[in-house]
Amino acid sequence: MNPIVQLIAAWAGSLGFAMLFNVRGRKLAYASLGGLLAWAVYLLVARFTLNDYLCGFCATVALTLYAEVMAIYQKSPVTVFLVSAAIPLIPGAALYRAMDCVMHGDWPGLWQRGSYALLFAASMSAGITVTTILFQLIRGGLHAHVHPRS
Amino acid sequence: MREMNRTEAEERLYCAMTIGEELLVSGAEVNRVEDTIRRICLAAGVERVDVFTITSSIVTTIYGADFGACTQTRRVSGMAYDLNRLDALNQLSRRICAESLSPEAVRTELKRIDAGPRYSFGMQLFIYALISGSFSIFFGGSWDDMVASALIGILLKLFESALRRKAHNALVTGLLCSSVGGLLAQLSVRLGLGMHADLIGIGNIMLLIPGIAFTNSLRDLFSGDTITGLIRFLESMLLAIVIALGFTLAGFLF
Repeated sequence: MNPIVQLIAAWAGSLGFAMLFNVRGRKLAYASLGGLLAWAVYLLVARFTLNDYLCGFCATVALTLYAEVMAIYQKSPVTVFLVSAAIPLIPGAALYRAMDCVMHGDWPGLWQRGSYALLFAASMSAGITVTTILFQLIRGGLHAHVHPRS
Repeated sequence: MREMNRTEAEERLYCAMTIGEELLVSGAEVNRVEDTIRRICLAAGVERVDVFTITSSIVTTIYGADFGACTQTRRVSGMAYDLNRLDALNQLSRRICAESLSPEAVRTELKRIDAGPRYSFGMQLFIYALISGSFSIFFGGSWDDMVASALIGILLKLFESALRRKAHNALVTGLLCSSVGGLLAQLSVRLGLGMHADLIGIGNIMLLIPGIAFTNSLRDLFSGDTITGLIRFLESMLLAIVIALGFTLAGFLF
């Protein structure tokens, strides 16, 4: 698959999702660029390793960093820039193929594809979590949940 | 500190709860909802605020020497993801904290946000086509597959909006939509419109898959809101599996 076509498709897909979630104006441009960035990082890391989970992790880290910075710059919630851009990374195809295996009674195939989808989701969550926590630490505060004692 | 009587405290808490509820419905994380309600109440001059939020409920108690304790709860049903509204509500809550707006002013602002811009129905048809088409290509489909997937995306939007008036269960809606999508994908291959039913279907699956719920569930889960995170994670996984199942079900019939 031509990487340029894939990048454009990732961008267009994120754009579509950002519009579906009613993102507007300049923020729409930033939100959809995040999807392009995430997939560009994925493809870049894929040149150096054969490990898909590592690619997913790095792409999510880059994306979350981008979203956090954009959130400060645009004074908007991180969600606006994160969710639609994360969608190209979501293992929808693997999940679909896993279900296809269920329907055809292909249990080894289900194990292979199902575990891939789950592990990929796990590596995404690791990427989001690690970056968010690091970012909060740098910005000086993990105390959002601590109640001020009176 | 300014005197605050019982009625005023109740009114201010009600406003804060409304903002919290709308944030949650628009797709905010629990952390943000709790933080917003807490900040608005503290800015109004109460002594202590306790907020507890899970996916479908918000409970807040505020304490003050003048009015005692005041508790309100909200049952939050359903989600309507709208990041533009989320953004506007977030800015409104910042303003409330900075300028201490009166409850009347807050209500006017909320009405304005509620009437905020949305993409027209025609535009939404285009959005569905755009998403389906691009993900069909993204996962390795041909140009024919892209066109077929985009057309099916438009049909799915029409089907979904017709269905929305009858069914309220997200799982049932997802299963029906995905089955119809799967049937249409198979049909389009039969008619020679596309080449790979699975790659056409994947474009439509991405359309229905609860991506925002999934991403938010991870964020909730790891920011300490374990209950909400788990519920949302399970919900989105269940929905994703049901949707994938619906598509393959149709493939099995052919």
